[in-house]
Amino acid sequence: MSKKVLVVDDDPDVRSFVVTVLEENQYIPLVAQDGVEGLETIKKQRPDLVILDVLMPRGSGIRLYRILKTDDDLSQIPVIMFTGIALRSFLKSQKVLDEFKGGEVPKPDIYLEKPVEPEELVAAIKKKLG
Amino acid sequence: MEIRKLLFVTKFEELCYDALNSLLTLRNAALEHVVFLNVIERDKVAMKRGSGYLKEEEVKLKETANIRFIDWAENLFEMGMEVGAYIEVSNLIPEILKVVEKESPDLIVIGRSHKGALEQLYAGSDVMELVRRTEVPILVFKHMMEDKIVPEKLFDRPLFATNWSATGKKAVEYIKGLKKVIGEIHVMHVVKEGALKSSDTHEVQKVRKEERAKLEDLCEELEAAGINARPHVYVGDPQKEIEKAAKEYQASMIILGSSEKAAIIERWVGSISKNIADKSICPCLLIPGEKNN
Repeated sequence: MSKKVLVVDDDPDVRSFVVTVLEENQYIPLVAQDGVEGLETIKKQRPDLVILDVLMPRGSGIRLYRILKTDDDLSQIPVIMFTGIALRSFLKSQKVLDEFKGGEVPKPDIYLEKPVEPEELVAAIKKKLG
Repeated sequence: MEIRKLLFVTKFEELCYDALNSLLTLRNAALEHVVFLNVIERDKVAMKRGSGYLKEEEVKLKETANIRFIDWAENLFEMGMEVGAYIEVSNLIPEILKVVEKESPDLIVIGRSHKGALEQLYAGSDVMELVRRTEVPILVFKHMMEDKIVPEKLFDRPLFATNWSATGKKAVEYIKGLKKVIGEIHVMHVVKEGALKSSDTHEVQKVRKEERAKLEDLCEELEAAGINARPHVYVGDPQKEIEKAAKEYQASMIILGSSEKAAIIERWVGSISKNIADKSICPCLLIPGEKNN
């Protein structure tokens, strides 16, 4: 059975790129355009994988990632970060939030800095989903 | 009322990272979320005779803005803050209002209006258009003088000019939310010369005493909330006297209530808040009144 992959990104061009890549590789694409919509879709649709941007309106990917990884029910869903924000900044941010809010959030499974070639994205998805 | 979320509207001219950085003292109060907005005015990419819609120009402008926002966002994320961004081809005020609707910020930060005098006469200033259409307080950010220095402690020494209106009361509640970043606030009221009808010194002093007593009550209210406050009574033209007081007490910003009525009449006669927001060298925080809708 085809697996569901959710792409959360505010840029319609990026969503379109990822959806095309997913369809060409027989995955079922789901889309959300910001952090709030992303969380709603995750709860309703239970995707097998989330491809997540960081800098977005109505809830960043940093916030959504923390929500996912601290929720017992959702923490097992693998996440590929797909963003223009540097990994260094992402990790520093999580470290500050870990100290401030308590607890420790695991590093993302895969972190891709935009832009990437379709093959690189496919390889990352296959690595997580097979 | 605390400032948790700030909407930073930039054209990358007056409002850049240095300006944003000076606002980060608000983190000592409650600031935890910054939303960036860049509006690419339609006429920059609109249809032109012979060239059609300038799609390439739109892509270039959007990507340029995106690169700036990514850079700023990385700095803020590293501080543990939450950040969002919008880059839209639209008209400035309607787009700001759309984002206000989606994000519910506690403060909007914009640069001063760049419209010319004639354009303002017919369309009004951007700032007052916003005051008229939103209840969210608006900080009109300015660099100090022409040397483009960003005020270091923007909230350290504000001057609050009250005319005892309902918007003034709303402003007081807003100021209380800033108690952790305000060093000392100067609170003033300007008695218009027309109010001093009598040529009798005793009567004139009576007016001053009454206003002073009201200001002292207000200062006591602010001090009870944890803010050092000093009262001042001035007499004369409100706009000139507010500017004078800002200079005398080296105010870091001017705080004013701004009513809807003022926003409507400003187009024709110029309201105090509009004139100060446009012309003063100090940044201005405008607190709009409640809307009826």
